[in-house]
Amino acid sequence: MRRTARLRDAMLGAAGTLGVLLVWEAVARSGAVSPAVFPPPSVAIPEALRRVPPGELWQHVSASLLRIVWGFCLGAGPGILVGVASGWYRTLGVLVRPVIELVRPIPPLAWIPMAIIWFGLGEPSKVFVIVLAAFFPVFTNTYKGMVGIDPLLLRAAQTMGLSGPQLLLRVAVPAALPDIATGLRVGWGLSFGILVAAELIAAEQGMGFLIMHARLLGEVSVIIFGILLIGATNLVTDACLAGVIRRWLGRWHAT
Amino acid sequence: MRPSGKTSAEGGARAGGPSRTGSRWLGVAFLGGLVLLWQLGSLAGLLKPFYFPPPSRLATAFWELAREGFPEGIRIGTHMAVTLGRIAEGYLLALGVAIPLGILIGWVPVLDRLTLPLITFARSVATLSLLPLVIVWFGAGELSKVLLIAYGCFWVMLTNVIASVKYIDPLLIRAARTLETDGLGIFRRVVLPAALPRMFAGARVALGVGFMVIVGAEMIGTIRGLGALIMEARTYYRSDISVVGMVVIGVLGFTISAGLERLERLLLPWNRGLESVRR
Amino acid sequence: MARIEIRQVTKRYESAEASQGPALENVSLTIADNEFVTLVGRSGCGKTTLLNIVAGLVAPTGGEVRVDGRPVTGPGQGKGMVFQQHALFPWLTAIQNVEFAGKSRGVPRQERRETASELIELVGLRGFEDKYPVELSGGMQQRVAIARALALDPEILLMDEPFGALDELTRIEMQDELLRVWSSRKKTVVFVTHSISEALVLSDRVVVLTARPGRIRQEFAVDLPRPRERTDSRLLTLHETIWQNLG
Repeated sequence: MRRTARLRDAMLGAAGTLGVLLVWEAVARSGAVSPAVFPPPSVAIPEALRRVPPGELWQHVSASLLRIVWGFCLGAGPGILVGVASGWYRTLGVLVRPVIELVRPIPPLAWIPMAIIWFGLGEPSKVFVIVLAAFFPVFTNTYKGMVGIDPLLLRAAQTMGLSGPQLLLRVAVPAALPDIATGLRVGWGLSFGILVAAELIAAEQGMGFLIMHARLLGEVSVIIFGILLIGATNLVTDACLAGVIRRWLGRWHAT
Repeated sequence: MRPSGKTSAEGGARAGGPSRTGSRWLGVAFLGGLVLLWQLGSLAGLLKPFYFPPPSRLATAFWELAREGFPEGIRIGTHMAVTLGRIAEGYLLALGVAIPLGILIGWVPVLDRLTLPLITFARSVATLSLLPLVIVWFGAGELSKVLLIAYGCFWVMLTNVIASVKYIDPLLIRAARTLETDGLGIFRRVVLPAALPRMFAGARVALGVGFMVIVGAEMIGTIRGLGALIMEARTYYRSDISVVGMVVIGVLGFTISAGLERLERLLLPWNRGLESVRR
Repeated sequence: MARIEIRQVTKRYESAEASQGPALENVSLTIADNEFVTLVGRSGCGKTTLLNIVAGLVAPTGGEVRVDGRPVTGPGQGKGMVFQQHALFPWLTAIQNVEFAGKSRGVPRQERRETASELIELVGLRGFEDKYPVELSGGMQQRVAIARALALDPEILLMDEPFGALDELTRIEMQDELLRVWSSRKKTVVFVTHSISEALVLSDRVVVLTARPGRIRQEFAVDLPRPRERTDSRLLTLHETIWQNLG
């Protein structure tokens, strides 16, 4: 019974998507707008692939992914560390949190000029912006997770003789894991969002660069393809992340 | 086991800390201390003003922006108004469509299933990646920026509105049915109020997205607006102005978000972390 | 004529559990006017399902339920209901919750307020009318829920483990409260619980249901005057008998 329900859902989903593609195709072909500016998917995709052969495409994709992974790790890592420490040691939290909360509303992209001044026009400045995008959500969620731990769990562990760092690492952090996982997912998504703009900083490779460059050349099909590619990559990597999280947490945490 | 004097969630196992008011003062003091260090570092020559404009420089730069304006005499007030105006237009446009549409989709399961993969994909499309496309289609003017912001805000709000309706505790609806209410009555008096908390949450996140997008959107084709200001300043090597721009955006974002929270608490006094939602 | 007639009610669900038998099979029961009947049984024996069918929230696969000779077609209509999770509308104050049904029925504001006030008084919550559910304790929330169900003066009150989420002491308090309310506003009550002692303290009749398939195993009349001593030996004997019967 459940299987047929899921199948039906999948089919409805596929139908909806197909519907949109068909509408796109129809409207584009109708000639209401110039096909150079609004190509139908049947034309746009093959043309894009023609202009940017798969080998070259892969270079761009991998360049972007590399940047995001670097930025994400450098941002999420400290995010977790600082989040755990601030949530656990109240004095630290009191000192650190206001500073972070005040800096947080500044959009990562607004940092670009300073990033360029500090790091130049190369890779580090782009990675820096992604670091910012990843750090804040990871910190906020980790902090929230640490602060929201059921005190009963800690008390129980204490009755078993745990204290200090042991208590932190073996009880507190695992208890906060679901929130940390949420933070990681959000951070990853935001990193992707920032990527395009980050790659405006004189990049020579990357999916964002691809789109920008295509605009200068007037290759709309490549732009559209690039946009879809970024979206698809985001979706796939997020699904992988969600899968990994589910594997780790799924058994004991009802999401 | 030594008994703990504190029974609140904050006490007990964790390393003890200062009291509530003590915390606040300590936090402020620390912040003040950092700013002071920053200023002193600059005076001592350790922090070059170009790389780390000291607070004194920022203050004068702000004053300059307020009086003479930059670039070409555009004052800080104008920049703020332009940026906020663009965000507001895109934001309201997005919410205006997302709320009714989201309620509809959330309410009718078939629609939800039809649109789910689409919405999931559209959300994954990085809003700023649309910048080049939007410029090709609509030029580098105001419309493009507003549309971009609208796009970003729309999908976030939509997903939240759908969820707000979809995950209403069915028990509340059952209870309403036993109380001689059905159809429209249930929709108006149970579904909508129950969905409000999550819709507010979505509105706040969407606003955050708007602020994120605007900076990117203002990088091209304009010199008015805080994002443009920050970028333009760089070409003139005025890092102090860039930082002032950053701070102003940050403060604006913070204030508006806090305002929304205040509004929510006013309108939804019954919602103290409690949700009439199943998950 | 019996107030409630449950005739040969069967309920089958299409799910993984279906293979174990229908939730309810050929359940028949008549309940007289102003009688207090409790359905007891282990979890999963269908007592909540049966209550939902009587309420009109769920349709039976077979058989029917009649109230005052007329078949049940839907919820409301003289059948007030109280749930285990109070199901109070969190955005309304206590008194607004109680007024809710009146508003749906179009009862004029003044009258609505008066009725609601009386009921709040009846359940002992004078002074708490303007509190939101989140500000009330578990016992108080259930009192509001009871008041709300009574707002349109239904002839029948259906209660699905209303005190199940409360602590023991509050439970006992609420049981006494319920009897007090019931004695001043007589109604036909169908009460569901898994606690035999609760059933014995409250009811005129205890109906034992067994699970998979859900069937009536036996009925027990409790002919003792109220209020009943929880330690009364007659109750304890009955308790033992029913316990044996749970299967």
